[in-house]
Amino acid sequence: MHKLKLTPEERWDYLDKLAEEVVTLKPRRLSLKDAIGDLTIRPLTGIPIALGILFSVWMFFSTFAGFFTDGFMVPLFDEHYLPWIQDIFPKEPSWLYALLVGTPGADNCFEAFGVLTTGLFVPFGVVLWAIIPLYLSVALLEDIGYLPRLAVLVDNILHRIGLHGFAIVPTILSFGCNIPGVTAARILETKKERFMMMTILAIFIPCGAQLGIMEETIAGEYGNWLMFAIIGYLLLGYFVVGWILNKILPGRSPEILIDIPPYQRPIWKNLTMKTWIRVKCFLVHAVPFVILGSLLVNILYIVGIENGNLTLVSFEEGDRSIMGRLSIALEPILAGWFGVPKETILPLVTAFLRKDLAVAQLSAIPMSMYQLFTSVVLISIYFPCIATFAVLWKELGFRGLLKSIAILIISTFTFGGLLHGLWMLMGVA
Amino acid sequence: MFKILLMGNPNVGKSVVFSRLTGANVVVSNYPGTTVDYTKGYTKIGGEEVEVIDVPGTFSLEPKDVAEEIALRMLKEEKPDLIIDVIDATKLERGLYLAFEIMEKFNYPLIIDLNMWDIAVGKGIEIDLKKLREILGIPVIPTVAISGEGIKELADMERIKKVIMAKEKKSMNEHLREILRRIKEGVKDA
Amino acid sequence: MKKVLNQMKYEEKGRIVEIKTAGVRGRLMSMNIRIGKEVKMLAKQPLKGPVAIEVENAQTSLSQEMAKQIVVEV
Repeated sequence: MHKLKLTPEERWDYLDKLAEEVVTLKPRRLSLKDAIGDLTIRPLTGIPIALGILFSVWMFFSTFAGFFTDGFMVPLFDEHYLPWIQDIFPKEPSWLYALLVGTPGADNCFEAFGVLTTGLFVPFGVVLWAIIPLYLSVALLEDIGYLPRLAVLVDNILHRIGLHGFAIVPTILSFGCNIPGVTAARILETKKERFMMMTILAIFIPCGAQLGIMEETIAGEYGNWLMFAIIGYLLLGYFVVGWILNKILPGRSPEILIDIPPYQRPIWKNLTMKTWIRVKCFLVHAVPFVILGSLLVNILYIVGIENGNLTLVSFEEGDRSIMGRLSIALEPILAGWFGVPKETILPLVTAFLRKDLAVAQLSAIPMSMYQLFTSVVLISIYFPCIATFAVLWKELGFRGLLKSIAILIISTFTFGGLLHGLWMLMGVA
Repeated sequence: MFKILLMGNPNVGKSVVFSRLTGANVVVSNYPGTTVDYTKGYTKIGGEEVEVIDVPGTFSLEPKDVAEEIALRMLKEEKPDLIIDVIDATKLERGLYLAFEIMEKFNYPLIIDLNMWDIAVGKGIEIDLKKLREILGIPVIPTVAISGEGIKELADMERIKKVIMAKEKKSMNEHLREILRRIKEGVKDA
Repeated sequence: MKKVLNQMKYEEKGRIVEIKTAGVRGRLMSMNIRIGKEVKMLAKQPLKGPVAIEVENAQTSLSQEMAKQIVVEV
């Protein structure tokens, strides 16, 4: 007896006969769930609903982050932790004090810039409470089955830049943290799509950490509108560069064909497990880089080079430190091309190590709102944080990484310069 | 260690069944050489230590994307003791398409988990379980994984052992041939 | 009356009579979307976006280019 072999058509014919035998469909009126299903997929009602959902995710994020960061973390760090660590350290300010605790007599952990003060406050006091609500929301949207519908709604826009609807998932995840966002981009089908997605995500999408800090610094001072304007500008870059890449890169972009699942009740256990896996990934991958970042930056700030040998420089005469020299050397580019004060070199260097730390340092530098706008855009575009950099290297390989960096540098100069030009036109530069 | 592969189309509630079966101790690993992650879990069924692997969702064994390739490779390389094919009860034929293909091409014992039973009822879809079991000749267990209903019947070692014995006597491919005959005859009797 | 899938109007029903390219036929086959199947139009996204259809109470969304390959008898 040879083995039975069926063609797909034969297999389906048998199955259809089986279904006729076994399944009977009772007529019933449209259930509420079907009605909701149809509403969310039809563009006329679907798009407003999608905007509503994304806005409520944003509100949940900012209230959750605000509640924990301002409500608990700031008092904990500033009123208890900072005075305690400032007391136990040896009195006269030594370079160790400057390195670990930061500027002597600082009154809050935000601007102390010591490894044990800002280096711990940023990840555990701010970023952690920013990414938990974002991951929880994404897990919820995934579990109830809304993400495929969202993918269908945005497919026409994303198709313009050679991606298909499901690229919305890595994009939303990147707003949480670029690392899961870039790794999620692996599910995309073609090599071209993966390269494009990872590059424009790493360049243009601000991570949750950065959003958390922006919420603290910019939104507080100038109001939410400035933040939305910055994010809008970044998204503009996301589409423009995506569109250009789609034109110049070889290879085809696939057609969308996805199953739209019925809506389901989410299970709390699954949500918390998914969120925990992603938060753990942040704690394991990103936090070491934050601490490393603040350590390295402080070293650059404290150590100066005096005709060939390393000398210790106190905070006051900052210009003689390596950081100081760097800012003087880069001033023509910074001030000339981008129109931002030379002190922004510090956040720019930090941005390579940690984006959130960089935005925090930015808020300490006196500058106009327009310069702040350019600087924050620069910090987002300029370089992905080193953790994302490592993931990009792993996913794209060295050659892919170099191509990605080339695109990144070009985007930085064009989008940074564009802003400066705009401000000059408006006569505010 | 007794090994179970949990397979089925995407979005049929497979990972819910998985977490019902394995509870907390779960390992998320990446399938070597690819970009697809899958989860492995451990549990005790009928006093026996069992490893459950949540295979990426697939519609057929002719892979059209990376996830489907992994499902096919897992079938070849993992040599499971049992396959649980999770089917969305509102889309019976689609789920059985995969089950038929597995029976045709691989000789692993297989049981059907007819999940989302509550949604099917809600949509007015009635499945004659008795007849379906007669025609398929393998266990078909309705479940509502979200609430946990039916999971105990699914994880019933006696029934699993019976299926394995049945496979020793007659290959799954042979078994499928009989199913197809019953489907054809079924049409005559009705 | 024969028309291409994406010319169907909202809530219109039809039966698939032809799927032009083999590649599309293969991909749709595994989702039980094939010749002879009844299909209902659920939604069409603007700006040449994807269409959403229902085949035997399973909802699927496919791009407009793919939808153009499917000929339906209405």
